[in-house]
Amino acid sequence: MKRLSGLPILIVILMAALFLAACAPAAQPATPTPPAVEEATAQPVETPQVEKTPQAEKTEEPATTEGFTLAPAIAERMAAGKTPIIYVSYHDVSNEFAPFLKAGVEKAVADLGVSAEFVGPVGADAEAQIAELESLVESGVDGLAISSASTDALAPAINRFLAEGIPVVTYNTDNPDSNRLAFAGQDLVTSGYAAAQVLADLLGGEGDIIITTLDAAAQWSIDRETGARNAFDEYPGINVLETINTGTEPQEIYANIENAMLANPTVTGILSLECCSTPAAGEYVKRNDLQDKVTVVGFDELPTTLELIRDGYIAGSVSQAPERQGYEAVRMLVDFLNGKPISDVDTGIEVIDLSNYQKYLGE
Amino acid sequence: MTQQTSAVSYDKQRQTVTARLKKILLARETGVFVALILMCLFLWQATDAFLTVHNLLNVGRQISLLGIMAIGMTYVLIAREVDLSVGSIYALAGLIAGMLIVAQWNLWLAIVVGLMVGMGAGFANGALSTYGMLPSFITTLGMMSVARGAALVITNGRPVTINETAGADPKALETFYFLGQGYVFEKIPMQLVFFIAVAIIGTILLSRTVFGFRVYAVGGSDKAARVSGIKVFNTKIWTFVIMGFLSALAGILSLAFLPSGQAGRTGVGLELDVIAAAIVGGASLGGGEGTILGTILGVLIIGVLRNGLVLMHVSPFWQEIAIGAVIILAVGIDKWTNVRRRT
Repeated sequence: MKRLSGLPILIVILMAALFLAACAPAAQPATPTPPAVEEATAQPVETPQVEKTPQAEKTEEPATTEGFTLAPAIAERMAAGKTPIIYVSYHDVSNEFAPFLKAGVEKAVADLGVSAEFVGPVGADAEAQIAELESLVESGVDGLAISSASTDALAPAINRFLAEGIPVVTYNTDNPDSNRLAFAGQDLVTSGYAAAQVLADLLGGEGDIIITTLDAAAQWSIDRETGARNAFDEYPGINVLETINTGTEPQEIYANIENAMLANPTVTGILSLECCSTPAAGEYVKRNDLQDKVTVVGFDELPTTLELIRDGYIAGSVSQAPERQGYEAVRMLVDFLNGKPISDVDTGIEVIDLSNYQKYLGE
Repeated sequence: MTQQTSAVSYDKQRQTVTARLKKILLARETGVFVALILMCLFLWQATDAFLTVHNLLNVGRQISLLGIMAIGMTYVLIAREVDLSVGSIYALAGLIAGMLIVAQWNLWLAIVVGLMVGMGAGFANGALSTYGMLPSFITTLGMMSVARGAALVITNGRPVTINETAGADPKALETFYFLGQGYVFEKIPMQLVFFIAVAIIGTILLSRTVFGFRVYAVGGSDKAARVSGIKVFNTKIWTFVIMGFLSALAGILSLAFLPSGQAGRTGVGLELDVIAAAIVGGASLGGGEGTILGTILGVLIIGVLRNGLVLMHVSPFWQEIAIGAVIILAVGIDKWTNVRRRT
């Protein structure tokens, strides 16, 4: 009978786990954390369909070399007219967004005649990102552009590099807790607001909605969800049923959307908060012939997303101009090293839909 | 005399039936099966959507790829080894096959190349873990990184999309999509058909062939198996090759289902689910134990649990706790019952 000894425990704990989960609060987060960006940039966009003018929104005074003491080695190199050595660190070089940023960095290298390398950990790993940056600093750098894997973890490192006289800017994912010189990227709260506004308008201000995200606990996701829920709050007929944490593995993402749709048969709108659950939601709509019942709005311009827009399964996707983010990161550092003042760059919001997808798809 | 004979015969029959019943009740699979049934009953009561043909077929499809890989992992675990590289091989083999399809290679040749990549990686894992004298934990941990890196290098980190726009042949695409997205009898997903086929072959190979006996023997005791004339290293290598083959098969089917993969995300973390499913189903980390039926039940428990938690609108953060608790518990039961059996 010894082999049976685990059976009662297994049954009890399985049931306990289910009951525990069943008693847990329903899908959330209904109380998003405050936005991580300045209030000035968190204003709702009035017309998200229109691309914002680049550099239109400056959140603070331009950063200048006055009051910032360059490390002696960097100052010497700049005075000698040598090519600046810049590293652009991204928090996960293995995700599908990275090649777009890298292309921007490469374009800047070609245009500005500097030495800039796109680096970062495989898989979002703050410790690995810091370790790599420290090694690069030891080998000699003239400037760093950083997209943080974790705001809390990277902020002290950024401040330390700045204290050593190394110019540091942030891009794509800001680090407002640090003293970074400037930021180039999209305001996440605003972009979440814009995407939600597009979806709510397409639904005529009425309907049941689910929000999907690869990582509901990540700061970028919380920021975008904050903006989205702010927008939905302005439409009394819109009811956000739950936020689905899809995970990052493609099969897992699709399965979670599939299960969520079955659990919520009244859904008429899906808002995806990032690049990767957007095509999965479109694919679900396509395979279940729901294009007349369910409207999908998401983010970014992955090829599959663009094709699903073309075929009518995704209504819109918010672009954040990733190539420009990579480009501006390098450009800001070069300007700063040349003594020019630099300011935050908002890379804007553009909604991709049937009217303009060709521009992105290259048709 | 006749009465005495029939009485003895009746006694023997009763003993046989009792022994069989006892054997069934004592089997670890029975515990997992009862737990699964209880979970299903609970979800049936708790949600409207669970016990519908549509949802059950969804669950069947959702667990298929995990199941195919977990069957391979059962072989590896029975042979007292472990393979952490399955998620990376799944990504590498699938993406290579996908890239070849986009490059307009013959569809079947592209699939065979993908499968061979998986088998090759499995062979390397096995050879290094036996003749190379390295623990399989270390070997496959290294392979996990090597295969993931290789997938990133060959794709340059960009998504691989398998469609006409990318350059694939439309006829080949139709067949390829059918493998991942098609239905048999208009209801049964092709992925589930593959899972069932792999389960049947896997069961026969493990329980009805000399090879299966050898796998159990090397997992039970290396020395005893060697003394019995079993080539321990070769048997273990074969389990890794089977694992690599099934990882590649699952990776290719995954790309046929969702025809866009990305080296940085595809299959990441899958190894933990695969090992967990096999362990929940009764395979032991100590080797020598496990059955394909148990693994299928383990996969079903994980699949039903994930599906049920979403259907019950449970917060995603609580879902993590529930799934984690079940995995820890399953490994715990394996450990506790092992200790009891030894004492």
